[in-house]
Amino acid sequence: MRLLMLEDDAILGEGLRDFLQLEGHVVDWVMRLIDVARLTKGPYDALLVDWQLPDGSGLAWVKTLRATGDTTPVLMMTARDLLQDRINGLDTGVDDYLVKPFRPEELVARIRAVCRRAAGSASSRLVFGNVEIDLATKTVLVSHVAAALTAREWALLEALALRVGRYVSKDELDRLLKGGDEAETASNALEVHVHNLRRKLGRESIETVRGRGYRLVA
Amino acid sequence: MISLPSIQRRLSYFLVGVSLAWGLSISVTIWAVGRSQVEKMLDYTLLEAAEILYGLLIFNVDLLPMQGAQAMPTPYVHDEHLMWQVVEPGGRVMLQSHRAPAEPISVERRLGFFDAGDDWRVFGMPLRDDKRMLYVAHFGVDRKEANLLGVETAVAAVLLSALGCAIWLRSRVRKELGPLNELSASVAQFDPLQRNARLVAPSRAELVSLRDAVVDFGARLAKRVANERAFTAHAAHALRTPLAGMDAQLAAALRECAPEQKARLQRTREAAGRLCSVVTALLTLFRSGVDLSVQVFDVGDLIERLPLGALDIRIESTTPIAADMNLLAAALLNLFDNSMRHGATEVRINVHRSSGTVHIRLQDNGPGMPPEQVHKIQEALDCQEYEGHMGLGLMLADLIARAHRGRLNITGASPGVTAEISLADDLAAEST
Repeated sequence: MRLLMLEDDAILGEGLRDFLQLEGHVVDWVMRLIDVARLTKGPYDALLVDWQLPDGSGLAWVKTLRATGDTTPVLMMTARDLLQDRINGLDTGVDDYLVKPFRPEELVARIRAVCRRAAGSASSRLVFGNVEIDLATKTVLVSHVAAALTAREWALLEALALRVGRYVSKDELDRLLKGGDEAETASNALEVHVHNLRRKLGRESIETVRGRGYRLVA
Repeated sequence: MISLPSIQRRLSYFLVGVSLAWGLSISVTIWAVGRSQVEKMLDYTLLEAAEILYGLLIFNVDLLPMQGAQAMPTPYVHDEHLMWQVVEPGGRVMLQSHRAPAEPISVERRLGFFDAGDDWRVFGMPLRDDKRMLYVAHFGVDRKEANLLGVETAVAAVLLSALGCAIWLRSRVRKELGPLNELSASVAQFDPLQRNARLVAPSRAELVSLRDAVVDFGARLAKRVANERAFTAHAAHALRTPLAGMDAQLAAALRECAPEQKARLQRTREAAGRLCSVVTALLTLFRSGVDLSVQVFDVGDLIERLPLGALDIRIESTTPIAADMNLLAAALLNLFDNSMRHGATEVRINVHRSSGTVHIRLQDNGPGMPPEQVHKIQEALDCQEYEGHMGLGLMLADLIARAHRGRLNITGASPGVTAEISLADDLAAEST
C-alpha cells in the first residue's frame, strides 16, 4: 500500500516509516502540513495523520480534505486520549483513531482494516475465481495451493485487490507501488511484475484493457 | 462512619437542662419564701384567734363552767382546724374546744408561739388573773398540708413554664441553624470546577466568613486542578509520542537486526512496553484524580485480555465489579510485572466480595520476600510513604486502589507473595 504519514516527531516518524516499509508499504513521510501541498504523488491508500503539527491541526486538515470530496481512509495518531477528542476526530471524518503510545503492529492491522472497509470488504480474505487472498497473513492460494510471491508482486496484487471492480491505470499502479520518484525511472518494471503474477495466479486472473489499466477478474 | 455530636442536639439538651435547672432553682426559692410566709400567716391567725378568745373569755370568766371537755356544749358538726384550751396552773384543762385533747398542751406555763412536738403549733397567753393559761393551737398536719399545697402548686407552675420554654428554645435553635443547613446543602452541590458555580448567599452574618472560606478554597482548588490538567495534557503529548517512537524504532530494528541481536532488542522492547504501561497509568491516574471512568466488567475477563507474556495466570474465582477498567488494568499489569521480575512463573487469581469490599487477590509462586521486608512494605503502604520502600509499580497499584476508596495489601505466602487490591464495592451498593 502507499501511505502518506504526517508526523512531526522525528523518532516516531522514522521508526514508523521504516517499520511500514519493512511490511511492504510505500510511505511518504512529511513533518508539516505545508509539505503536503508540495507532494503531487497521490493517490494514497491511506493517510496517517498526527493531530498536533507544527504549522496547524491535522484534524482541521482532514476536515478540509473531506470537504473537497476526498474519501481516502484517514487514521489519526495522537496523544489526545480524551473521549471527547476521539468523538471529535471520528465525527470530523477520521476513519480510525489510535492513541500514542501504540504498537506499530497494531497500526499496520488498523491500516489494513480501514483500507479493507474502504474497498467494501469486511473480511481480510478476498476471493477472485480460484484465487484466495488473505490480506492479514499476506498469503495467496491458487486452487487451494499456496503461491509464493515476491514483496513487489504482493504489493501489486494487494493494490489491485483493494480496488476491486475497477481498472487501475499503469501510472496509478506505478505510484502506489514505488512512489513518484521511482515511477518514471522504472516504468517497465510493472509489466514484468504483472507478467510474473499472471504466471503464478493464472493468465486470466488479471485483465488488461489498453488505455484503462489492469484489474483482478472476479 | 464515626457518629459525631450534633450542634443542634447539644444546644437543645443544654437549653432544656438550663430551663429545668432554672425552674428547679426558682421552685426551691418559691418554696422557701412561700413556706416562711405561710407559716407567718398561720401564726398571725393563731394570734388573732387567741386575742378574740381572750376577749370573750376575760369578760365572762367567772360565769364559765370550768369543768374540762364536758363544760362546753356540743357544737354543730364540723372539721375543726383550730383548737384551744384553758389550763390551770396544776395542769388541769378547765375549758377546751370540742376536738382539743383532754390532756393539756403544755403542763408548764408557756407564753407566745411554740411547737408541741410535731402535732401542734401553739400560741399561749395568760388569762386576767395570770393563773390560768389560754392555749390556741393549729394541727401540725394542717399546717404541713397548707405548706405542701403551696409548694406543689408553685413548683408545678414553674416546671411547666420551664418545659414550655425548653420546647420553644429547641425549636428556635433548629430555626437558627436552618441557614447553616442551607449553606451545607449548597456546598454539597458546589463544584468549583464549573465556570458558573455559585454558593447560596448566607442569611446570617456568622456564615459569611464560612461561605467566603469555601469559595476561596474552591477557587484555589479549581486553579490547581486547571494547572494539573494543563500539565497532564502537556505531559501526555511530551511523553506519549517519544514512547511510541521508541517502540516503533525498536520494532523496525527487530525486523532488520542480526539474529544474535534479536534477544537483546526484544528485551529492550519489553522494557519499553512496561515503561509505556507505567506512563499511561500515571497519566490516566493524574487525569482521573477528580473523576473515575467507572464501568461494570468482570475482573477475570479483564485479566484475560492483558498482555502478560510468559506468566501463567490461573483464575480460580472471579466476579463482576464496578471500577475504572483502564486504571485497574494498569494496577494489575504492574503487579504481574512485579511478580514476573521477581522470578514468578505463575499467578493465581481469586476475586471475591465481602462487607462492601471487593478483594482481588494475586498469589504468585516466586521465591517471595523475607517477612521483615514484607512488614516494611506494608507499613509504607499503610502510611503512604512510598519513597525508598517500594517500586513505582506497587505505589501505582496502591494509588489506583485508593482512588477507588480501597487499598493495596502485601503479605508473605508460602511460596511467593500475595498482593491484594481491595476496592469499595460500588456494584453491590448500587444493587441494594
